[in-house]
Amino acid sequence: MTIRNFHEGLKKKEFKAIEVVENYYRKIELEDEKIGAYLSLNKTDAISRAKKVDDDISKNKDIDILAGVPLAIKDNILIENEPATAASKILKHYRAVYDATVIKKLKKADAVFLGKTNLDEFAMGSSTENSGFKITRNPHDLERVPGGSSGGSAAAVAADLCIAALGSDTGGSIRQPASFCGVVGLKPTYGAVSRFGLIAMASSLDQIGPITKTVEDAEILFNAIKGKDPLDSTSIDPKLQTTNYKLQTPKSIGLPKEYFEKEGLSKEVEEAMAEVIKNFQKLNFKIKEISLPHTKYAVACYYIIMPAEASTNLARYDGLRYSKLSPDETSREARQTMSLRGAPQTLKKIYSEQRREGFGSEVKRRIILGTFVLSAGYYDAYYLKAQKVRRLIKEDFDKAFKEVDVILTPVSPTTAFKIGEKITDPLSMYLSDIFTIPVNLAGLPAISIPAHNLNFKTQNLKPNLPVGFQLIGKPFCEEEILSIGKEYENYTKK
Amino acid sequence: MDNLINKNTLKYLAELSRIELKEQEEEKILKDLQKILDYFNLLKEIDTKNVEPMMGGTIAKNIFREEEEKFKKEKLTEQFLENQDNFLKIPPVFE
Repeated sequence: MTIRNFHEGLKKKEFKAIEVVENYYRKIELEDEKIGAYLSLNKTDAISRAKKVDDDISKNKDIDILAGVPLAIKDNILIENEPATAASKILKHYRAVYDATVIKKLKKADAVFLGKTNLDEFAMGSSTENSGFKITRNPHDLERVPGGSSGGSAAAVAADLCIAALGSDTGGSIRQPASFCGVVGLKPTYGAVSRFGLIAMASSLDQIGPITKTVEDAEILFNAIKGKDPLDSTSIDPKLQTTNYKLQTPKSIGLPKEYFEKEGLSKEVEEAMAEVIKNFQKLNFKIKEISLPHTKYAVACYYIIMPAEASTNLARYDGLRYSKLSPDETSREARQTMSLRGAPQTLKKIYSEQRREGFGSEVKRRIILGTFVLSAGYYDAYYLKAQKVRRLIKEDFDKAFKEVDVILTPVSPTTAFKIGEKITDPLSMYLSDIFTIPVNLAGLPAISIPAHNLNFKTQNLKPNLPVGFQLIGKPFCEEEILSIGKEYENYTKK
Repeated sequence: MDNLINKNTLKYLAELSRIELKEQEEEKILKDLQKILDYFNLLKEIDTKNVEPMMGGTIAKNIFREEEEKFKKEKLTEQFLENQDNFLKIPPVFE
């Protein structure tokens, strides 16, 4: 079921919102144990929100297109009074004190939140294996990862344990799991969607975006959450964008040669991309080879900037401020924290221990890496250098967009890898983000769309794993990549 | 590969970031970081002498708004591990 057909069915009174919501909870009970998409569920609130929508419908009131739609929300996005753990032990007891702006907007539209989904801890990872609580499995093959860091959201959509979901993307965390799970994932232009209420990882790269079954659903969700927000000073009113981009006729798609090197892609991805390109040719798009010469520096550039920003953003987690314990645990654990079995503790020691116990190894690795590149003596050689390289990467795209309307690339060099396959070699995991990272560095919008149309049934173990392709657009041109995406989707549905 | 980061540097970084590392963790992190930092040498290839660094992801400048109280203090402080009169209660900062 998509947002579109849920909405039509509701209006035609073919079913009630509450029936659909309860049905999703039954499905979650039956299937989520083996998939592990959800960290927490929100039944009481979801049911009361659904009832309100049903009430409005029975009184023949007008309803928003998202009214009653059961959504899954990545657990680094705050919903007031619900857990917000960022899949980290250091936040295992935390309950959000306010709604993220995107949640406020969705509440206004009367959407329903089924629960919070699993992610790599603090959104650091590409497989959801770094979650502090559990792994999530790819619904298409339970031995494989769903991708990351929004693996829980992508798996929930792919397994039809919700109608749509929200994720966040800093280096590919919406697009890559969407590709691995055979669903649609959109990363908006930096500044298009408010980050207020998103647990910050890398402030100059993070964006919240939709993960959905169809491109149209992604468009609906994006339109509901986008917009300038006074609470996020980096959000921008797209109308103030001064650059005028003229669309070509026929529309032109650029293929950056650096993204299509033979040894760079697995056979499945190579074949899928060839098919995608052929489909676009049949749809009358002009295909043009372009070059983004600084592509090979993107991973190094990103893994300097992102950990640097994250080391600052995660400094607030001290094990003391976001740690309300249950009443029976409170005094005992507090006493243990504050005085190690009788011996008085200094604050410095408490911080070091809480963060030692509360953070997983990937988080520690990145914080330390970030601290290194920002430290005296290394700042110029690493952080400053990376910021200059970032400018060059962005300029590559600016130049390319003078020749073409959109850019087409693979999302990932491979299909979903096996659980445990890459987790011991961080650098190899980082290198697999090569196609998604440059987009965040340049702040551009990009969408991951399945190359082949798949059915959303958990029981089907398809012989071919999903492959997504990426459409990169000009700043604030989400409409363009969404419309091209819809065209592709309609063509391959036949 | 020259070791940009040795055990002492790691201990220093761990102290700066207030994360106490366990023995086995130290070994693994050191190896991983050495590999990653070695990979970063790739950036030395590019001439960035006259390139303006890109600070952050936005073109917006000097966005300000009025300071306003958004929540009751209690809402935030009730999640503190130890709370006294809406302040976070902590042990001494200095040894």
